[in-house]
Amino acid sequence: MSDREKFLKEKISSLVPKETELESRGEHFDFQAPVTCSVTTSHSIAVGFGDGKVRFFFEGEKPRIIDAHNGVVLSIATNGEYIFTGGDDGRFLKLSQNGDIVEIANFNSRWVDYVAAYKDSMVCSSGRNVYIWSGDQKKAKSLEHSSTVGGLAFDYTGKRLAVSSYGGVTLWERGERRWTSKRLVWKGSHSKVGFSPDGKYIVTSMQESELHGWRLRNKVDLAMRGYPAKIKSFAWVGDTPHLATSGDHQAICWPFDGKDGPLGREPVCVADCGKQISTFIEPLTGEKAIFVGFNDGSVLLSELDENKNPFVIRNPKGSEISAIAISPNRSHILIGDSDGNILWSTLWKK
Amino acid sequence: MNNMSQVPVTVLTGFLGAGKTTLLNRILTEQHGQKYAVIVNEFGEQGIDNDLVVDADEEVFEMNNGCICCTVRGDLIRILGGLMKRADKLDAIIVETTGLADPAPVAQTFFVDQDVSDKTKLDAIVTVADAVHLSSQLGEHHEAEEQIAFADVVLLNKIDLVDDKAVKNVQTRIRKINPYAKIIKTNHCSAPLTEVLGLNAFSLDRVLEVEPDFLESDHDHEHDDDVTSLSFVSDTPLEMDKFQAWFGNLLQEKGQDILRSKGILNFEGRDDRYVFQGVHMLMDASPMGPWPAGKDRSSRVVFIGRNLETMNLQEGFEGCKVA
Repeated sequence: MSDREKFLKEKISSLVPKETELESRGEHFDFQAPVTCSVTTSHSIAVGFGDGKVRFFFEGEKPRIIDAHNGVVLSIATNGEYIFTGGDDGRFLKLSQNGDIVEIANFNSRWVDYVAAYKDSMVCSSGRNVYIWSGDQKKAKSLEHSSTVGGLAFDYTGKRLAVSSYGGVTLWERGERRWTSKRLVWKGSHSKVGFSPDGKYIVTSMQESELHGWRLRNKVDLAMRGYPAKIKSFAWVGDTPHLATSGDHQAICWPFDGKDGPLGREPVCVADCGKQISTFIEPLTGEKAIFVGFNDGSVLLSELDENKNPFVIRNPKGSEISAIAISPNRSHILIGDSDGNILWSTLWKK
Repeated sequence: MNNMSQVPVTVLTGFLGAGKTTLLNRILTEQHGQKYAVIVNEFGEQGIDNDLVVDADEEVFEMNNGCICCTVRGDLIRILGGLMKRADKLDAIIVETTGLADPAPVAQTFFVDQDVSDKTKLDAIVTVADAVHLSSQLGEHHEAEEQIAFADVVLLNKIDLVDDKAVKNVQTRIRKINPYAKIIKTNHCSAPLTEVLGLNAFSLDRVLEVEPDFLESDHDHEHDDDVTSLSFVSDTPLEMDKFQAWFGNLLQEKGQDILRSKGILNFEGRDDRYVFQGVHMLMDASPMGPWPAGKDRSSRVVFIGRNLETMNLQEGFEGCKVA
């Protein structure tokens, strides 16, 4: 090797970021299809892909592959034991970790956009309708909405189901015999929806690159604005709790303690990544810390403290982070991107 | 909107019975070696059975500031997002709209939603028109006028059912509304698919090919609601500040009535050609390289819309000229 070649080689290697600890000890997969969704079950992490496959990752095992859908796995949920998936083949499926597939419903050319599950209840949305199966019921209860459903979420009791759509959220409550509904109104198109861990607030992300929230006790509106991009991901973190959100050059974390939650208060902003936009947020289970994925494929770990520096967990690989999940006993982490790359690693040094 | 990795989206409009389904069936069944997805509306004329057909409700959403330019197709944002997650990449996507749909919200979706405009691009608006019925439809339904006004291509279908004179009349009628759409005369929508798909008509460099028939500017009106077009040319350079002030204000105030606008501009002191094109109040503009050597540098603008004669467009445009 000539001096010039040596010089160039050194120069180039100094420009390539060093592998992170997680990258060097983890396993790398390239599945050639976008990672679309993921969920942590009681034994594994289940990941959905753009080619219809679902892969289960167990600690210390090779991933198990299931051919689930004839198209994109659009959404995934778990009741702990089984996973439930919706696909652009119009099918709503129940999968066991052993690879058994049960087709619960088939809507053909109508996509199953969103799914949710709680104990023995399973729910999916297709177009404007939400279908609920409870207990041993063979036939679903159908709940109609005025426009296409943008998101679904159960509260921690499983008795309330929030359904977002154009113009607000429909809050369904399971009664003795039937489901009754209340409407929470806010102009604009609402997508991802979630309850706060105590069930007192509902939050949605909106087409207008902002979040909307309702305090359920008195329907007080909360508007959380100022994002440069749509908020694709949010999660509740810590005991306060904070609502950690993507859609900015960092993670924006709104405090939900006290009487009024984030009303009139400043958010905590952590994990700054320069020009990149955050696309995925996953709490580090049991800690006041979050993993933040960005549109260039980098992932940072940060405490919810603006004075602490974040750790680089994954270097940019070029495509957007679309999944981060922590294994059930907190030993492993899975990171997926929209090119189909997966990083699967132990969380802690041995 | 110029990235090669973006999947092109063709919007297919036209009245019920004009022949949209015939065209869609051709797109889905012909051996063209391309992978297309077709988004059809729930009131489709007849069932099209294929794996790559997606059923959609046409849901026009107002973004919460309530401005007309921010009415978008919410279902399209969702479906295009889903299609972009497919493992096998699509060569193109075709969106069918119902006969009575206003094409503007579909087009606006590509300007307003970041995810949509990152991964897909509006290729062209193709309107299938029925040579037998178009004239009467234009008189009765303002949606028919809008579909012609927005079109980059008009497939004038069923010409075997009318005589030459009638074809000529309906062409004149189309030209009056939209002087720069390409008119393709067909039976059974038999035009080559290469003339319908992959046109890149919304790319700014295609605006350079805008050659409206300036001589045919005709100001007859049957009623005030007519969609017409007006175009202006200037060999005198324009002042950039003046133009921006006039045009910005014009779109803000009259954008509701201006369906489409396009132009090539020669600004004083600039070597680059400036090109723009707009849908209602939304606009895409950019310098597009230097003027070709030895050719006249003339500015040209075209407006298609309603009540254009009340907007003092001529005066406004003249006022932008270098004094």
